[in-house]
Amino acid sequence: MLNSILRALIFFLLLSSAVAAQTTIEWWQFWTDPDIKPTIVAMVKEFERQNPDLRVNLTDLTWANGHEKIAIAFASGAAPDIVELGSDWIAQFASAGRLADLTDHVASQRLHYQGWTMATYNEKVFAKPWILGTRLLFFNRDLLKRAGYTADFAPVNWAELGHAIAAVSKLGSGIYGWGSNTAEKHRLYKKFMPFFWSAGGRIFSEDDRFCVISSQQAIEALKFYKSLHECCGYVADQRGIEDAFLEGKVGFVISGDWLLKRIELEERRINLGTVVMPGPGPDFSTSQVYDPNLQVTAYPGKSFMGGEFLAVNADSKNQLGAVKLIDFITSPENQLRFCKANRSANPSSREAQLDSYFQSNPHLQNFVMQLNLSAHPPVDPNWVYMETEIEAAVERVLFENAPPGETLRQLQKTITNLRKQ
Amino acid sequence: MRSSRSVDLSLTSPWTVTLLLFWAFPVAYSLLIGFTDYRLLIEGYRWVGWDNYRSLFRDPAFLTALENTFIFVLGTIPVTTVLALGMALLVNRQFRGRSFFRSAFFLPSITSMVVIALIFTNLFSRGGYIAFLAEMAGFSPPVHGFLYDSRTALYAIMGMDVWMSLGYFMLIFLAGLKSIPDELYEAAEIAGASPMRTFWSVTLPLLRPVAVFVVVINSIKSFQVFVEIFVMTRGKFDTATGVYFVYEQGLTTAFRMGYASAAAYILFVIIGVFSVLQFLVLRRRTALW
Repeated sequence: MLNSILRALIFFLLLSSAVAAQTTIEWWQFWTDPDIKPTIVAMVKEFERQNPDLRVNLTDLTWANGHEKIAIAFASGAAPDIVELGSDWIAQFASAGRLADLTDHVASQRLHYQGWTMATYNEKVFAKPWILGTRLLFFNRDLLKRAGYTADFAPVNWAELGHAIAAVSKLGSGIYGWGSNTAEKHRLYKKFMPFFWSAGGRIFSEDDRFCVISSQQAIEALKFYKSLHECCGYVADQRGIEDAFLEGKVGFVISGDWLLKRIELEERRINLGTVVMPGPGPDFSTSQVYDPNLQVTAYPGKSFMGGEFLAVNADSKNQLGAVKLIDFITSPENQLRFCKANRSANPSSREAQLDSYFQSNPHLQNFVMQLNLSAHPPVDPNWVYMETEIEAAVERVLFENAPPGETLRQLQKTITNLRKQ
Repeated sequence: MRSSRSVDLSLTSPWTVTLLLFWAFPVAYSLLIGFTDYRLLIEGYRWVGWDNYRSLFRDPAFLTALENTFIFVLGTIPVTTVLALGMALLVNRQFRGRSFFRSAFFLPSITSMVVIALIFTNLFSRGGYIAFLAEMAGFSPPVHGFLYDSRTALYAIMGMDVWMSLGYFMLIFLAGLKSIPDELYEAAEIAGASPMRTFWSVTLPLLRPVAVFVVVINSIKSFQVFVEIFVMTRGKFDTATGVYFVYEQGLTTAFRMGYASAAAYILFVIIGVFSVLQFLVLRRRTALW
């Protein structure tokens, strides 16, 4: 009897020491949709099989309050080992000393991935790019056909875009040419900045010393954006705009690859067209003050680039394991697996980008093309505040008829002050 | 005696500990950090004294939020109270389908605020049902919808809030009406009082405590309005209210917890003063009914 109790005790001790030898890596991530979460879980299980000494504990975040949760967790010392971050947040957390410096670890990987500039703050790399994202112009071919356009039409400059949007808007009540964003944060600037960058606008001078957001190019871009909003805008939040677009009420919207996924999963019958963001074109003139000698980007224009990054908590006790997991998740094979499950168009791995999957669909091809024609906001800890100010300024012009030039000059002062702080 | 006290203490301790830990401590702590420049992502903080409070009263965003809050409170409470009382009087009468109407009026109160806000976002949109009704009535609705125009957004949300709150306060008034003894109505009838006279001289005075309760509870609720603003406009189009301001300062972009705590305490004082004033005024006024 005593013997069997002793045996059981030894067995229990051996078992518990084996469990204790396992290190648990906490990973907070945003992919919660039922069509992608199982892939994440499967990848994690595979990682655990390959690394029996490591266990991964997944926690889901939502875009509605994920940023706040991460900030609170860092402030209270309860942050996970690995955290998924939107590209715009990296500088904020890195400047506060919350993220581990990955510069040395990723040195040999730099050529194989895209998006490092968004993760680099003060010349140090604080996160590894995972899935990148850009925005395309989506349009409804049936509405264009009804407005008198040929089946293969796609706008290639601002003049063509403006005319097509106006023509769709004239189709009748309840039909709008353009989806115009409002009523939520972190959206509007991603819709305006493509026009701003395409016109040659810059937020800071090339030497990064001065804010130059009120340049003539920026004013032209804002005037054009306002003209689309005023003549033909269906105003709602992103979800509302996409709903209206899928119901055939809106001709043109700017959106990301998630809309392709939605169309497929919801089996929407829409005669869809996508095209890279049109640039102003050489003969663009919608305002009195248009300067024909203005340096403008020819078609195609630029779009917004952002993405999902994986970063390691600076205070993590499991940094080696965390980096191992990040490398596993961001490997070309796993990125491809993720993109296929999530219908994502832009893996950060250059090897994954070359896969035939992305060549098989013209819309995905457009996303790949657009990603290489995109710009991203400055990597600045104050960017999140600047972004809020840019959105407020654009909204004042769109909804309160504030003059674009004066509004952008005021914005320039505000951003300059924010940089000084 | 002593052992009885210790039994009392031990029996109430789960509640007391919870109260101290999750209410008293955060309340005291936020009062303290209201005097600092504490930000979530920045290590350490400085004692800034009354600076946060002084800055708040010079901050146009906070002053606008306060103004919006007062518009919300003063605009919704009289309408909600009068309509809820009217509905309670209606469903207190005997008629066919009375139970159906009672349930129907109460239904919005048990529906998720987020769901209602999303439905109304649609109703208020450009080309939405309310714009359609406005056009039929000869009014021209805002170009981009009621919620995306600074002149109408806050009032649209107030309208939705009144609609949503009516059922709950109707139920409270209904309970108050049920507690009025039938003999009083019989006496009034024998005395030849008209229905209107009966209402002013019997019903309303006896509903006094209920009315005070409704007004005070509704005021506190309206001062704390947040979800509607968060879901429908994110504080844009001049709809940011006090609590939304606190949320935005403390828990979004800036994470300025010190500043947000100071704003929360200003709101706390305003709500406290407003509630006490309501008690005093309504008590005195209802004494005249």
